[in-house]
Amino acid sequence: MEEPWQQERRARGAWAAGVAALLAIAIAFPWVFTNPTTTSIGVFTLIYMAAATAWNSFAGYSGYIPLGHAVFFGSGAYTLVIAAQDLHIRGGYTVFALVPLAGAVAVAVAVPFGLVALRTRRHTFVVITIAIFFIFQLMAFNLGITQGSSGIPAPTPTWPAATFNDRFYYVALAILVVAAAFSWGIRRSRFGLQLLAIRDDEDRALSLGVRVSRVKLTAFALSALPVGMVGAVWAYFIGQVYPQFAFDPLFDISVALMAFLGGLGTVSGPLLGALILEPLQQYFTLQFSSNALYLVVYGALFLVVILLLPRGIIPTVRDRVASWRERRSGSTALASGPDAAGGVLSSEMAGGGVAGAAGGGAVSPPGPSGPAVRRG
Amino acid sequence: MGGAVAKAVVDGVLTGGVYALMAAGLTLIFGVMDIINIAQGILVVLGAYLSYVLSQDLGIGLFLGLLITIPSLFVIGVAVEWAFMRRLQERERTALSILVTYGVAIVIEGILELIFGPNYVQLRAWYVNQSFHVLGFYLPYIYVFGFALAVFLLGVLYLILYRSRFGRSVRASLQDRAAARLVGVNVERVSTITFGIGIAVTAAGGMVFGATNAFNANSGYDLISRLLTIVILGGLGSIGGALGAAVFMTVIEGLVAVLWSPVWATLVFYAALVLVLVIKPVGIFGQRAARAQ
Amino acid sequence: MAVCLGGLMLAACGKGSSAGSSASSTPASKAATGSQSSVASKKPVVIGASLSLSGDFSADGQAFQRGYELWADYVNHHGGLLGHPVKLDILSDASSPTQAVTNYEKLISSNHVALTFGPFSSLLTIPTSKVAARYGYAFVEGAGGAPDVFAAGLHNLFDVATPVANYMLPFAKWVASLPPGKRPKTAAYPTSNDPFTEPVINKAKSLLQKAGVRTVYYKVFPAEVTDFTPIADQVATTGAQMVVLGSVDVPTVSAFMQAFEQQHYNPKVFIASAGPDQGQAFLKAVGTSNANGVMVPNGWYPGVRIAASEAMVKAYVAKYGGSPSGINADVAEAFSVGQVVAQAVKATHSLSNAKIISYLHSGVKLSSVEGPVKFDSKGENIAALQFIFQWQHNGHFVQVLPTKAPGSQPVLFPKPAWGS
Repeated sequence: MEEPWQQERRARGAWAAGVAALLAIAIAFPWVFTNPTTTSIGVFTLIYMAAATAWNSFAGYSGYIPLGHAVFFGSGAYTLVIAAQDLHIRGGYTVFALVPLAGAVAVAVAVPFGLVALRTRRHTFVVITIAIFFIFQLMAFNLGITQGSSGIPAPTPTWPAATFNDRFYYVALAILVVAAAFSWGIRRSRFGLQLLAIRDDEDRALSLGVRVSRVKLTAFALSALPVGMVGAVWAYFIGQVYPQFAFDPLFDISVALMAFLGGLGTVSGPLLGALILEPLQQYFTLQFSSNALYLVVYGALFLVVILLLPRGIIPTVRDRVASWRERRSGSTALASGPDAAGGVLSSEMAGGGVAGAAGGGAVSPPGPSGPAVRRG
Repeated sequence: MGGAVAKAVVDGVLTGGVYALMAAGLTLIFGVMDIINIAQGILVVLGAYLSYVLSQDLGIGLFLGLLITIPSLFVIGVAVEWAFMRRLQERERTALSILVTYGVAIVIEGILELIFGPNYVQLRAWYVNQSFHVLGFYLPYIYVFGFALAVFLLGVLYLILYRSRFGRSVRASLQDRAAARLVGVNVERVSTITFGIGIAVTAAGGMVFGATNAFNANSGYDLISRLLTIVILGGLGSIGGALGAAVFMTVIEGLVAVLWSPVWATLVFYAALVLVLVIKPVGIFGQRAARAQ
Repeated sequence: MAVCLGGLMLAACGKGSSAGSSASSTPASKAATGSQSSVASKKPVVIGASLSLSGDFSADGQAFQRGYELWADYVNHHGGLLGHPVKLDILSDASSPTQAVTNYEKLISSNHVALTFGPFSSLLTIPTSKVAARYGYAFVEGAGGAPDVFAAGLHNLFDVATPVANYMLPFAKWVASLPPGKRPKTAAYPTSNDPFTEPVINKAKSLLQKAGVRTVYYKVFPAEVTDFTPIADQVATTGAQMVVLGSVDVPTVSAFMQAFEQQHYNPKVFIASAGPDQGQAFLKAVGTSNANGVMVPNGWYPGVRIAASEAMVKAYVAKYGGSPSGINADVAEAFSVGQVVAQAVKATHSLSNAKIISYLHSGVKLSSVEGPVKFDSKGENIAALQFIFQWQHNGHFVQVLPTKAPGSQPVLFPKPAWGS
């Protein structure tokens, strides 16, 4: 029988190979599925995958649920079109150079946003993010720089129609890789453990020496970066930025739902959630939205899925796999509590715990979070 | 100009009553159950449509119809709580409640749109377009009646909360669920009934909303963000807070619309919320009110 | 209402291409297939469009759908397009630009439609027309008229409706023509924050100011206001003799009217840029007797004396029931789109988009149920007629301006008191 550390190393190797394979598939996708309809859906899907991952890298790890990330999306979108207009950039590859700028602006917006909002907790936090979102939407409608309700056009590139979408696809994919890498990096790092500590019990974390305000704000600002960048890509792709679509409240709900469906607090969860929901949403709207029945059906499905998988797909699957393995090998190694060493796999399974949060200390309060999350 | 300002204040107060009615249920649910009920907006619309059917098809007056719509929405509320809310685990309750109530909202919206179609309707009665003439102001009857109804119903809610045994259980659950359980409060049953009451009051809010606005199944969206704002501002679980915050917000909005511009009025509304919360995160009347008496 | 989120179970549904009309159960799809058998059995020409059949623009989107379908019926009964029967492929976009873009991609690259018609609303027109432009498709539409639509400089875009800024021209002219004793001295201009309304109101305001009407109120309000009372009350306080309201939908107009009535404020003239043109939908919301005297600009009304229009009205009532005055003007816009395309196809003897585009840009004058159509280089219809309509005598939608235009009735001026 294998030692646990050997099993873990094998699992890690398999995992790395899996990621590489997925990336290869993603890159090859537009070459195989050349139909512009498919790549168009692909672009939107990648945008949402990146946004959901970024959102989760704050919300999932810290436990704060912001419903205002559309602020970053819209800020990024407007940055791109305003800059393109002011700098007289014509349609073409140069416009993509504005994408990082859009990300930077989003981060710049996130700092004051975070400073104000993160002073509050839980429900108050949720509502304050909603309020700030509306403030931004209203500013977009009314400030001169955003040209109000008539919106701002993006430059129109002259690429051939058959491969037009591919460029946007690859840029969005690049942003997604960055977002996923961030999320994974945070997860494995001490910074991530601090966030998880905040999620489990903020006051306790504070008393254990975690610099709570700084950690929260940093995570919040970092999560804004990919969202701002995909906002810019979206603006360029769609061709016109209007306030109500750049700052769209349904964006926040979608992103939250995708993260939840996949598994809040996991790295792959939001990816899976967005991968499932965005194309599904488009097909569903296509097929059924011609009458209001579709609202009833999808709302009902939505409810069923949420109630069946309250923790999301990835954690539920992991649990099943773990208990199956347990039964098969009779070993209790994998079923033990969160490792104080904080191995990626086991702590992901447990959804993280306060153990190990304060930099490897042996403090493990038996909070209701640990077992409840694992057993579900 | 002075006249316009005074008018804006009076308008704001009266409109605040309408919003308080719509928000009262939300603050109870939010406060007692940790549930962010995104469906509140569409439930207001549902209440409005119920009143519409009663008055259009059965000729029952709007206020009289409340005797039917309020209990109906109570039943619906209890049913929704039993079917969905109760399944939410303690831990991720708040976050999941957003998604679950969103799902419920979508289903209700779809059903309403299927039944009534996309066209706008409005509740009609003799008092909807007529007004009192008082001190140089025209006060529309419907707003005054609505305000009176708000005060009455909120008063009833207050009495239930602070002068009844049930109310004591509710307040205990509001403060600390685990502790309440320990002293023998059946927190689950209290939650269900509170949820039902919260939704029931919304029927009244819906009726007044439907009499003062043309509405259709889509009208819930614009409402919900305002209602959430009012509830947080007033302090979760505080009935008086809901009324106070609603009036505060609508008066500010009205003043800004008159003195500056309507486009900034809504923005000031949200900015005021942010400002208050930064200074006092539990809301103007938060915590303190729930514990008082 | 953008996001539609399905569950895992839906994955099994897979993709379907919706050939033929949308999944709604109107008799339209059956009628279309029925009439096809009467046309020569050539391969059908499929025309694609994305419409907002649900969501914010759904009332208008559905009206547009009816207009497109009525046109398809008509064409199929009259020999089709170059002998080919016409089939409509209408996808729903739930009023979302993301979805609309994907829809046109699908229509063009997957469903291989021969021609495209436009969606509803300027907000959706710009992104979708760019998609069509990439593939060289002509994009004729009837609902994207805001100035910024044309600022994008797209060569394939044609809007059959009246250019937005000219909407109130006849109205301004009429007010200016009133004798000084009767002409309203003051005016209020509340307008919604929308690319459609602001140009309309601003143009009207400048014309009226030139005619000596003093502006006592001019404010822009956000489109998503839930409570119009403070704004409407402030207008009422000014006592302006005329109100020119920039609105995009029925609830806005209804809210203003209600507040005015509550404040016992009755302007001599009341005109709104949109809302009162929605037929039954408007009357139901405000009450028939309250509507008397309310004016609205439009390019069409059910009683217009154009042969094609009269036939269309008859067909509408036969297919969908109701009365002519209940017909939403969007139906005529959509029908006109079809007519323009049909005329271009016939004149060029081809279904080639490139030929259609150059034909439409050639300055030729075409006809439609809304009157003459002629496109300038930007794609605006410079021959479009502007009319002003007024609700009169409890439920009659009557053309009143231009005074000299055939079919114009006298203006009900001053506006009767609310409810009479």
